Amino acid sequence: MEWVFYGIAFFVSVLVTGSAVYALYWSSKKGQLRDLEQGALSIFDDKEPVGQPTDFFPGKRPRRKAP
Amino acid sequence: MASTPNLAASFDPATSPDLVKRAELSEIDASTKAPALFFLISAVLWLLVGTAFALISSFKLHTPGFLGDIEWLTFGRARSAHLNAVIYGWSVNAAFAVSFWLMARLSRSVLRHSGLLMIAGAFWNIGVTIGITGILIGDSTSIEWLEMPPYATPLLFVAYALIGAWALITFRFGKSGHIYVSQWYLLAALFWFPWLYSIAQIMLIIEPARGTVQALVNWWFAHNVLGLWFTPIGLAAVYYFLPKVLGKPIHSYYLSILGFWSLALFYNWAGVHHLIGGPVPAWVLSAGIAASFMMAIPVIVTGINHHMTMVGSFGALKYSPTLRFIVFGAVSYTLTSLIGSLMADRQVSEVVHFTHFTVAHAHQGMYAFFTMVMFGSIYYILPRILLKEWPSAMLISLHFWTVVIGITVYVVGLSIGGIKQGLEMNNADIPFLQVVANTIPYLLSRSMSGMLMTIGHLAFAVNFAWMLIRPRASQDTAPTLFQNPPEMEVSR
Repeated sequence: MEWVFYGIAFFVSVLVTGSAVYALYWSSKKGQLRDLEQGALSIFDDKEPVGQPTDFFPGKRPRRKAP
Repeated sequence: MASTPNLAASFDPATSPDLVKRAELSEIDASTKAPALFFLISAVLWLLVGTAFALISSFKLHTPGFLGDIEWLTFGRARSAHLNAVIYGWSVNAAFAVSFWLMARLSRSVLRHSGLLMIAGAFWNIGVTIGITGILIGDSTSIEWLEMPPYATPLLFVAYALIGAWALITFRFGKSGHIYVSQWYLLAALFWFPWLYSIAQIMLIIEPARGTVQALVNWWFAHNVLGLWFTPIGLAAVYYFLPKVLGKPIHSYYLSILGFWSLALFYNWAGVHHLIGGPVPAWVLSAGIAASFMMAIPVIVTGINHHMTMVGSFGALKYSPTLRFIVFGAVSYTLTSLIGSLMADRQVSEVVHFTHFTVAHAHQGMYAFFTMVMFGSIYYILPRILLKEWPSAMLISLHFWTVVIGITVYVVGLSIGGIKQGLEMNNADIPFLQVVANTIPYLLSRSMSGMLMTIGHLAFAVNFAWMLIRPRASQDTAPTLFQNPPEMEVSR
């Protein structure tokens, strides 16, 4: 009986490894690994642009320019 | 906020034309409010429970008579209850909240089907409660990191399946063209955990493997929970909050991607270094040792990247609570990982194996790295979902300094004590009981640091509860962030 479980375990492991390889292939094909400068900037936008810190101790926030 | 009526339709973004637009950050944050609060409140409560069991276990090691006549608080049970409360209670709850908040933000998509998450959260917390109660009444499975009795685990499975399904939905609805490095980490973690947990359940509990294979599976699981579940989530948070708080992009995005893929490649092999010296095929150990040393690549790459991002901005540590915790966590990640690689060396392992050094190392990883990053994340997330400031800057400082001093004393004390203990145990001239007696000063230092960290946790919990019940002051129109458009401010 235990070999059935080992078989399942082995199959799942192959599947997980395979999907990791596929993810790498997919990301390279979709250009996710190109233009890395832009990638690093993707967490900023007009409302929270580069150059603007976003976290302060309560009540210590420096006066900000009018938006 | 947009919410698709039909769950099935959610798997195919093409059927929901109203979701094409990129959501505003404030709108996304608002959509995560209910489930994030649920998971975070659960996490904080479990943190307090876990801390209480930690103190009890720690005191028992140098004062064996302490609570000695209560059977459900004997060391074996209290210590396992501590581990399960802080891992499956505090860490996983906090990790879930931080993951889906980050995932929603990075996918630029409002959180839909938050009901799924609430049900999952209820299942998870009931499962953990039953599991820990089971441990306390003596039903522990006695398998490390899987102590919860088999009647608790199905609930955890259901909870996890719901959360996994939900994460895929959010990712699929993503309106951000680029997959940010944090998303890689989060998706990988959400994908790896069910694999680890189900294989471990099958091969250790349902149909236990025999002989040394059981030990191999046990350590493959226990170490990978750290490396393939908590580490990616912690790093995902660091890679988001570090640049976001500073307002400057990560130093080298290329290095961050390299770090991710090398972690994915090497980590899975590293766990067997726990069995060095054991009756395991030598090639398995050699492969594990090699993988442990290869882990230096992602660790050094990540460390350099974080450091270079901070260079020139260390002044920001003065004004940002989030950054303090995140930077302490990131530095600890580098240190603890490099120490971990060293511990896989056969000669080093000969000394430090089966000593308090391992305990210090585990806490450096789970506390100094992961928990600190989670604290930092919570300090950033909570004001944004509640739209209020943290009530007390003093309590934040108290929390930070007590836990920083506490965990530093903890790690340094037990590391020194552990090395001394290991050297003495390898010396046949010293009787074993003498070795045990010699560790007592270090165990006392652990209890001291534990009390300090307890003060920090209480300060955090008080600030957290105060924040929840405090009404929003009228002048709080633009709390911390806060760049919310005015219409978002008045809608809640």
